[in-house]
Amino acid sequence: MLRIRPPALGAVLAFAALSAAPASAQEIPPDPLKSGMWELVAEENFPGEIVFDPRVKLSLPAAAEDQFHVPVTIDARALAAEIGPIEEMVVAADLNPIIHAVTFRPGEKAEPFLGLRIKVEQTTPVRVGVRGADGIWRVAAAVIDAAGGGCSAPAAAHGQKDWMSTLGEARALASRSDAGETRLSFRMRHPMDTGFAAGVPIFHLGELSLTLESGEELAGLEISAPISEDPTFNLLTRPSVGGAAVSVAARDSEGNRFAFSIPLPGEAVN
Amino acid sequence: MSPAPEATEDTQESGVNRRALLGGAAALAAFAGIGPLRAQSHAAPRSYRLEAVEIAARTWCVYGAQEDLTRANGGAIANAAFIQTPDGVVVIDTGPSKRYGEALAQLVADRLPGKRILRVYNTHHHPDHVFGNQAFPREALAAPQAVIEAMTAQGEALAANMYRILGDWMRGTVPTPPGRALNASREEIGGRVFTLTELKGHTACDLVVRDEETGLVFAGDLAFLDRAPTTPNADLPAWRASLAALRRMERESLLPGHGPVDPAGASLEQTLDWLDWLEGTLRESVARGLTMNEAMATPIPARFAALGVARTEFERSVVHLRTRLEEEILAEAPSGG
Repeated sequence: MLRIRPPALGAVLAFAALSAAPASAQEIPPDPLKSGMWELVAEENFPGEIVFDPRVKLSLPAAAEDQFHVPVTIDARALAAEIGPIEEMVVAADLNPIIHAVTFRPGEKAEPFLGLRIKVEQTTPVRVGVRGADGIWRVAAAVIDAAGGGCSAPAAAHGQKDWMSTLGEARALASRSDAGETRLSFRMRHPMDTGFAAGVPIFHLGELSLTLESGEELAGLEISAPISEDPTFNLLTRPSVGGAAVSVAARDSEGNRFAFSIPLPGEAVN
Repeated sequence: MSPAPEATEDTQESGVNRRALLGGAAALAAFAGIGPLRAQSHAAPRSYRLEAVEIAARTWCVYGAQEDLTRANGGAIANAAFIQTPDGVVVIDTGPSKRYGEALAQLVADRLPGKRILRVYNTHHHPDHVFGNQAFPREALAAPQAVIEAMTAQGEALAANMYRILGDWMRGTVPTPPGRALNASREEIGGRVFTLTELKGHTACDLVVRDEETGLVFAGDLAFLDRAPTTPNADLPAWRASLAALRRMERESLLPGHGPVDPAGASLEQTLDWLDWLEGTLRESVARGLTMNEAMATPIPARFAALGVARTEFERSVVHLRTRLEEEILAEAPSGG
């Protein structure tokens, strides 16, 4: 049994009181995945109060078939139904050399739902943190098993001489379900270089914004280098979205600007 | 120009090669069954217990488990076969590791004492079929040039991932591409005649061997029976064309790369049915705007319920094939906005 002499005990209590004072709300909950990186990942990506919450859905395979293209879907619709609008959703992978992958900010007309693909450097926990109006980060996490090297090899584009000529080129599709839900899929040509491949500096899409014809922002993304080459996203809008097209504007880390539009299907499909 | 930019290009180039290597490792995962790594015990060295099943006159198959590569099965998931000719033995595919190759060579020696192995055919470059090559006489190893090239280019990366998945089973295994490129459509080996046909679709080059004496066709991984097909290097239209060619090929029976010997050709129908369903399902998932994870959760039709590892192979195929279909189905987006 450990006996603590009164003066030492006093010191311990004083220290506890000090550290408990203003910062107590920031205490990071223990990581169910027991990752050694968790506290750093939490501080950098989910600053503030954190809880693990099963209402946040994170879908990813148990094993990476391809460490350059790991499919991830984040879905906070069930959470939003209970706590109201979601302000941002952040995806991070603990053991990637660049931990942050994407920040997604759904506007009023977008569901808190996003499909994306990330690169992973090795077997790693992947997290999504979801922040609503109350400022609390609600987090889900899972481990993906992977062979190495997804973030430190050059993009496939660098095997082709003319890759610059198709930079930013976009393909897209909007489809409307019977329920009036519209899904937007788009893919932009970009090598998404992490800077960790020999001789290839960091170069990636950075900001991306989707705007409705009314001028209202549908959603915004902050994109980091671990998003897969030729970034491809799937979004889900609320049924109330109308108009003929959604405009997309993006900028990469070298300041190149890209703009394209996604034509929307007519209201009366089906 | 100063030499500096060239130096950069060189660096890039070697980097690109490294990516190709890693890509090969990634592709391996299709049949690799990269599940969570299992703790390895410190028990006695692992050994394969191979059993030869006679499937035609003087022809034996060593069946693979209808599973993924795991430390429980030692990677012995593909079929290997051997044929007794008047003057020796022909082997078709050599298994996943040096240790498997040695066990297979020993099985041949036990079954056909004193018979020399005259020819070893590799049907395609995937490691579950060819990483036992080391155990056989170098001069006997043969494959089409494209198979040799794929083994040479991807061998190291594939081996790295095999070691990662199978651990000690792989001890001492070194990728050993054949030195002999097949350039004839017909070979007489030890007094028995084989016709050789280069098809493609499962990989960029799939060798089909037909034994003229028995009419048994060794279809490699163009045909799967009662196990879901793997698609890491698949070209679906080419694969369908090859299945049609196999259907037309005169034969008494057929040995799929995975699954039991198939006199009726059920493997050709089942493989085609799976590929058609797979492509249709993926196309629909793109057209509906589903995420890849949503596509992976698609229910698998009841008629495929008996197929081994259907769910895991389907999920892998989503990763292999979706991006290509997206390029086709998503429309060029009008610029500006």
